[in-house]
Amino acid sequence: MNVARSAGILDAHATRIGLAAMLCAPLLSFGAQPAAGDFGPPRGAPIHAVLTSPPNVPPPVARNRPAKVIVTLEVVEKEMPISEGVTYTFWTFGGTVPGSFIRVRQGDTVEFHLKNHPDNKMPHNIDLHGVTGPGGGAASSFTAPGHESQFTFKALNEGIYVYHCATAPVGMHVANGMYGLMLVEPPRGLPKVDHEYYVMQGDFYTTGKYREKGAQPFDMEKAIDERPTYVLFNGAEGALTGDKAMKAKVNETVRLFVGNGGPNLVSSFHVIGAIFDKVRFEGGTNFQTNVQTTLIPAGGAAIAEFRTRVPGSYVLVDHSIFRAFNKGALAILKVDGEPDKAIYSGKELDSVYLGDRAGANLNAVTRATASSAAGTLSLDDQVHAGQALFAGTCSVCHQGNGAGLPGVFPPLAKSDFLGADTRRAIGVVLHGLSGKVTVNGQEYHSVMPPMTQLNDDEVANILTYVLNSWGNPGGRISIDEVKQQRAAPTAPAKASEH
Amino acid sequence: MALEIVRRATRIVVCAAAACGTAMAADFITVPGGRFASVLPQGPVPTVSVPVEVAAFAMRATPVTAGEFLAFVRAHPEWQRGRAPAIFADRRYLVDWRSPVLLADGGAADRPVINVSWFAARAYCESERARLPTWLEWEYTAAADETRRDARADPQWRRRILSWYERPATTSPPRVGGAPNVFGVSDLHGVVWEWVDDFNALFIAGDSRVQGDPDTAKFCGAGALSVIDRDSYAVLMRIALLSSLSAADTTGSLGFRCVRPGGERP
Amino acid sequence: MNPPLSRRDVLRRLGFVAGMWWAARAEARDIPGDSVYQLRAQLTDQDGRSFELSSLRGQAVLVSMFYSSCEQVCPMIFETIRLTLLALPVADRERVRVMMISFDPARDSVAVLKATAEAHQCDARWALLRAEDAEVRRIAAVLGVQYRRLASGEFNHSSAIELLDTEGRIAARTGTLGAADPGFVKAVRKALSRQA
Repeated sequence: MNVARSAGILDAHATRIGLAAMLCAPLLSFGAQPAAGDFGPPRGAPIHAVLTSPPNVPPPVARNRPAKVIVTLEVVEKEMPISEGVTYTFWTFGGTVPGSFIRVRQGDTVEFHLKNHPDNKMPHNIDLHGVTGPGGGAASSFTAPGHESQFTFKALNEGIYVYHCATAPVGMHVANGMYGLMLVEPPRGLPKVDHEYYVMQGDFYTTGKYREKGAQPFDMEKAIDERPTYVLFNGAEGALTGDKAMKAKVNETVRLFVGNGGPNLVSSFHVIGAIFDKVRFEGGTNFQTNVQTTLIPAGGAAIAEFRTRVPGSYVLVDHSIFRAFNKGALAILKVDGEPDKAIYSGKELDSVYLGDRAGANLNAVTRATASSAAGTLSLDDQVHAGQALFAGTCSVCHQGNGAGLPGVFPPLAKSDFLGADTRRAIGVVLHGLSGKVTVNGQEYHSVMPPMTQLNDDEVANILTYVLNSWGNPGGRISIDEVKQQRAAPTAPAKASEH
Repeated sequence: MALEIVRRATRIVVCAAAACGTAMAADFITVPGGRFASVLPQGPVPTVSVPVEVAAFAMRATPVTAGEFLAFVRAHPEWQRGRAPAIFADRRYLVDWRSPVLLADGGAADRPVINVSWFAARAYCESERARLPTWLEWEYTAAADETRRDARADPQWRRRILSWYERPATTSPPRVGGAPNVFGVSDLHGVVWEWVDDFNALFIAGDSRVQGDPDTAKFCGAGALSVIDRDSYAVLMRIALLSSLSAADTTGSLGFRCVRPGGERP
Repeated sequence: MNPPLSRRDVLRRLGFVAGMWWAARAEARDIPGDSVYQLRAQLTDQDGRSFELSSLRGQAVLVSMFYSSCEQVCPMIFETIRLTLLALPVADRERVRVMMISFDPARDSVAVLKATAEAHQCDARWALLRAEDAEVRRIAAVLGVQYRRLASGEFNHSSAIELLDTEGRIAARTGTLGAADPGFVKAVRKALSRQA
């Protein structure tokens, strides 16, 4: 019966019903570089491939001869969390998204067994981009629930290759998580590194909104329109954060096998705070060095390597950045160890940069000016305008929360000095203040320069804001009051007068 | 489209040949003929949807139940598990039963029989002087909802189908006898996959992406097959499942029902 | 006129018939579960004789499906089988039987089958067969052949040639058309080597 089944399906290959027109069969390499590696028939006893769940990667092949490698992959349809309190029925290769990582050596003869679990509802198959042959194995592996298909291929080209289901509707099978990576090692293997991790991006389409609770069904309309609800690394929000973050120590080498299952989006893969020393972009043989962000096409993969230098949490993102912060495309690599201040100091200064006073936050000031001219200036207008001006001018010393810096800059919040005479404050702003003052029981000996750059409107608004903030008594300073004080021939306020 | 006047389906009660004289009897519902545009091309041009005439037939109101199938294998021991030849039924044939003549626990008698091969399903239908429906007959009847003969344009109709697809078949199928559609036929969606007589005529490639490739060396006859309406993927997925099967195959979510041509009386 | 039979002759002949009957019974019991010969199909050959699939038990058989009005692929199937037979050593060629089963009972009458057999120079090794629609569907199902009748009267069908071993099990299959598939020829020789 096995003969009948597999051959019958092979015959069916020429029929042509399907949803996706794309052809994913790998192209034969050509050009100057010899790519195909056929090192003759397999030698030695057949080997059962070690498969791993993400983010783990099987150990290096470490073999110097072509072998027959038996890979058995089981398709499992199951409900799993996609986000906190949200579940989704994933279709998986090996029970995880992405599917099990397959690692073979160039020239190996791979006997591939695809099992479709009896509890599954759907037929499935597999297209391995690392296969040279029609459909990448898809027609030969078309398998009904409760059945198993077998086909054999020679891994001619080295590299990192996506595999995925290609059963109609192809997009839906992929969108449900049916993809993974196969590494075909070069004959001498890859250079040794301290850590290898397996990360794969995918976009997901649910009828409910992002993080809408409960079991969420697949939404074909959103998928066709390419409007994903989730963009995820390894199939779930939080799959690679918190306790599940990938780990390394300082001064170790990390190799990331990064795939993109799609079905729709192209990934701008980036690790915040790291520069890839080396990227085998598109999974090919050539590499690029010193890469900040590498593009990973849907149905493609890359190998990114870097050395950890500084401890901390490194965030893997799709730098199409709304996907990271609004759709879930975040993962963490946690690096432990001693800081190296020569490479990265940590924070040395935290101060406000005044910048240019022009800017969106000064809209309130503009509005207050207009209201003032129209004679409709309200307390609210003044407070809002004052807040914007305060942030630009006063908060450098008095701090954004009006608390000042004890012993250096007196507080404005709940200030008894201010409360004792609110009108005095107009003079302080216009003319400055020097000498000793006591505020809330503490003495200050600083000098406040006159704020001559502020016009009457601005002084009135700033002070109105201060009076109406941080537990101060409230009230209003009018433009006229400022104008009068500015006109009055007064010397700078003397602290000693207090 | 004008409102259709839906005739009240005639109910013809017949006795399953295997179970005459017992309480077992099957409801066959007359499904009037009509013009119908299948998701599979039926006309001369494979890319154009041409409605075809579907002749009237009588369809079982519900899928064949495990209880009915048990009566059948008692009367036809050659179809018992362990006796049916491998070329007619694979190793999972009736695997969920406790023994060749004992159902699974838990009131399985009125649940659809599952893990049956096409050959076994065909033999059953022959035993009640019926046959398996053709794909066209099945698709035509299943296009209906409670009030319309063709509800396929309604996203709600599609949603109901898909929600069943999304649940893995880890539990037994529900008991038969859900809400009947406008024809009076129940359980076409949301219960089990169902064999059709011409399951091996629904050409869908193992690699569904190969299309529009006139590989005449492998196939003779006119033109390529393709799915006309790309929005009909819910139906397409059923075709994909049927296409993945060989006639001896069984799965834990696949059952069947029978039809008689022209709604004829036994 | 036959000469009159002696009593002994009669007994011997009766015994022979009885033996045949017992042999047939045994045969029916012993057909392996995965044999195509499990199928009891009612077929008719190009000479109008009724034909039982399992009548070819004990021999290596090439089997395929076709329809006579097919202009593209089906003639190539006949040609490929002819080439496959020619690729065998002379002694082996004569021991292989061929079954060609029509998809199209409506048009492939016995007379049409006869004409088709003559057109392709099919000799006594070949049986061109027809059966009723429902029976054809079952045979195709057993052989793993897909086909569908189009509105034009043509058929879409998968094309393959299968080898049945002496027990009627599918031992090999080829989708190669237009030339003898060396792997398939090898499988035929292997099946013949097991033939008594």
